[in-house]
Amino acid sequence: MGALLLVLAPLRVINESALAIGRAIGIVAVAAMVIAILVQVFFRYVLNNALPWPDEAARFCMLWMTGLMAPTAFRRGGFVAIDTLVILLPKLLGSLLALFLLFVSLAVLVVAVQIGWSEVTGFAGRFATASLYLPTDMSFESWFRVPRSWMMASLVVGLIMLISVNVELILRAIVKLLGGADRLPVIPHDEKVGAE
Amino acid sequence: MLVWFLPLFLLFLLIGLPVFFGLLAAPGLLLWLNGQEKDITLLYRNVYNGIDSFPLMAIPFFMLAGELMNRGGITMRLVEFSQAMMGHFRGGLAHVNILSSMLFAGLSGSAVADISALGSMLIPAMEKQGYSRKFAAAITAASSVIGPIIPPSGIMIIYAYVMGESVAALFLAGIVPGVMVGLGLMFMVKIMADKYDFPVATKKHTWGERGQASLKAFFPLMTPVIILGGILAGVFTPTEAAAVAVAYALFIGLFVMRSLKLSELPDVLGRAGLTSAVVLLLVGAAMAFKTVVSLSHAPEAMAEFVLALTSNPLILLFLINLLLFAVGMFLDAGPAIIILGPILGPIFVSLGVDPIHFAIIMSVNLTVGLATPPMGLVLFVASSVSGERVEAISKAILPFLAVEIVVIFLITYIPAISMTIPRLTGFAN
Amino acid sequence: QEYTIRATANSNENDEDYDGLVVFKNYVESASNGTIAVELFIGTQLCSNGAECLQGVADGTIDVYVSTSGGASGIFPYVQVLDLPYLMADDRIAEHVLSGDFTRKMRAMALEDSGDMIRLMTIGNTGGWRNFANTKRRIAEPSDMEGLKIRTVVADLPQELVRALGASPTPIPWPELFTSFQTGVVEGSKNGITDIMGMKFPDAGLKYVTLDGHAYMGALWWMNNAKFTGMPEDMRRVVVDGFYALQQATFASPKRKSIAAYEEFVADGGDLYVPTPEQKAAFKEGAAPVFDWFKANVGRGDEIFDALTEAVAQAEAEVGAARAADLN
Ligand code: NA
Ligand code: NA
Repeated sequence: MGALLLVLAPLRVINESALAIGRAIGIVAVAAMVIAILVQVFFRYVLNNALPWPDEAARFCMLWMTGLMAPTAFRRGGFVAIDTLVILLPKLLGSLLALFLLFVSLAVLVVAVQIGWSEVTGFAGRFATASLYLPTDMSFESWFRVPRSWMMASLVVGLIMLISVNVELILRAIVKLLGGADRLPVIPHDEKVGAE
Repeated sequence: MLVWFLPLFLLFLLIGLPVFFGLLAAPGLLLWLNGQEKDITLLYRNVYNGIDSFPLMAIPFFMLAGELMNRGGITMRLVEFSQAMMGHFRGGLAHVNILSSMLFAGLSGSAVADISALGSMLIPAMEKQGYSRKFAAAITAASSVIGPIIPPSGIMIIYAYVMGESVAALFLAGIVPGVMVGLGLMFMVKIMADKYDFPVATKKHTWGERGQASLKAFFPLMTPVIILGGILAGVFTPTEAAAVAVAYALFIGLFVMRSLKLSELPDVLGRAGLTSAVVLLLVGAAMAFKTVVSLSHAPEAMAEFVLALTSNPLILLFLINLLLFAVGMFLDAGPAIIILGPILGPIFVSLGVDPIHFAIIMSVNLTVGLATPPMGLVLFVASSVSGERVEAISKAILPFLAVEIVVIFLITYIPAISMTIPRLTGFAN
Repeated sequence: QEYTIRATANSNENDEDYDGLVVFKNYVESASNGTIAVELFIGTQLCSNGAECLQGVADGTIDVYVSTSGGASGIFPYVQVLDLPYLMADDRIAEHVLSGDFTRKMRAMALEDSGDMIRLMTIGNTGGWRNFANTKRRIAEPSDMEGLKIRTVVADLPQELVRALGASPTPIPWPELFTSFQTGVVEGSKNGITDIMGMKFPDAGLKYVTLDGHAYMGALWWMNNAKFTGMPEDMRRVVVDGFYALQQATFASPKRKSIAAYEEFVADGGDLYVPTPEQKAAFKEGAAPVFDWFKANVGRGDEIFDALTEAVAQAEAEVGAARAADLN
């Protein structure tokens, strides 16, 4: 168990810092989404001149918000699940079941990240976005069309962070199983989340 | 063969796998067993494509608007307004609780937000006046489900997106059912108030005092007018309306009521982002799941099976009410709607039930399910807000649940209740 | 059966694309004697736009997909050549062009640019021709376009065209177009008549349609190349002939469907204007800057532009000769 705790400590630090950065960028992304759509509303209804980019730019931000913030929710136990059985079962069985479920989740994430990577680097990533451009120099004379892969990377980055969190949760579950629950630092729990 | 992903998914769900992973693991595993490895890519791709959507953006926006309203001291003014209007009735605070929820529902799309905002204020106030804590918590929980029925509504945005319906039409269709739930609860409160001699909250307010309370609540009460008015007039889409609601809430909080500080903004944005991220990921997984539902031809098979039982839509609607009610006991409304919509929707639409009507049946049913024991989400939130045990609230809420079930049946069998407003405004046929 | 072709179209069952698919399925399944099965997925069950669906065609999760030129322009920008105004005079010329080597040229380009993954099988029609329609006034000359806010998709070429004619392009998502007409956010659009009537745009005030026929609404039928080349030659012949039958069906379908739409439009009090040859020439002249823009700014634009103009010249000669032979 000592070895497990030894691995767990740096992983926890890595996850906590990565998630904090993710949340910070996510906050900026939420604000940017609102601003982009308000700009669109203003241009369309006040100036009578709709812009091509706000819709796609806002979706760009929403995708990155999702990818970067969902891992925090996962670590805080915010993914919706029916956990009745895990709670009702005898303690040992319940812990084993919880561990099994974490491994199923890990399998999903590992398969997903492989597909996601090949999507971003493959044919699909070569599509151009419809309306997003960045200047290639400071004079704003030549513009470069943002590829779709920059949007698609959001989910892959999210999946990598989810895997890292998942491994941490597995290690914690094993430590708990071995009776070391009291030696685990507490993960702050969020209130229940959902669209309800 | 492929259709076995449905029971497998159910199994995953019951043993406690998070819904997000279950939605992907079950179809993924079956595709693999079926030799359709390539289609697993399709599964992944639809998660991404499912999130990459303009209509869905209304979810983070409405959540954000709700958070901002809550911090902006707006709920307080709504309660004061309700008190001026209904406080003098027998059972005054119980009526105030319901009316506040109906008004709050016009600002927020979530039942949980309703309880957290109103419960922490009204439950202690009710206890002080001599109501039992479990009754106070129960009426708060029962009335909070109005939040996602009266527009805006998070689960209706999700349903509209997953099923390809118009968000505006669903919003409009929810107005009357939401008001009916509110009036039904008030009716039950009146019966109980006379029977158990509930206290009145305040003396009767003069119309001058009422005018003053209305004036103070004017800005928050304008929010639903802006949202619905804007959508109805075709000025903006629901997503744009949601962004405008955010701007409006910021404006009130920062400049009109001055109860919101700029330094609070990152925290508010973070909470809205975190909550939405989970929901969006889930919607993405649901879109992927739906793809495999199509590939497996499950709805056709299910429809055949169901129609073999009976093809009488009235009986089927009754059965669906039972099913949804049962599901709602164990699963939150969002995930339930995501899972069941694509499977059940096509069956009923092919039987001639209007898709908007069916959407309202599902939404109201599953929303009320949030307040049903044993697993109702709002019961747990009500418990944590009030400090009362879930079991006690579960018992006290039963008369109100009975009212809500009656309303569900009315909505199910009288389509005009939901369909009239969207039809009159041209948002439904 | 040995082969299953999974075909998808993002439209609905009232669309020409569906008519084409029904013909294709019927032909291929019977002509292959059941060796090939065709499974249809109509709507957005598998994927919901050009980028997503072509991705599926590339990796073989989708075998057949129909896109508009706009839908495929994110990866094959030169397909927008079909959106260039006033290049093909009428249905007869367009159908001749699209049945010939021009389509083969575009197929070769798309195969090159997709690493031999996506094969263009044929080009049919979806919705006839694009015409200018608006809520304000009859458009007889290019100068009538001055200042009108015209809805376009989010793509460069249609925006350049609208700008070249003196109007201002306004990108609005298709589902929001109705209310945008109502509120005056846009005053015009460029669509086929069946789309205009299908969306009930006259109820939102769209009363003036000018039959300038500025672009052919081509439907590009794509197939996973490995799926196609992996079939034996006799089955490939069945598939190719199936796409021929599909193309013929989509050529014919809009002609039939548009009759009722035009009648309904006029019965509702709509103003239908057919520009004179001189006026049409003026439109073509006004749109000239778009050709230069296309050749300069769209990847492989000049290559495909030359292929199309050459094919059109040849078609005009051949159709002209055929017509002359039939006249006497
Ligand atoms: Na609401
Ligand atoms: Na309440």
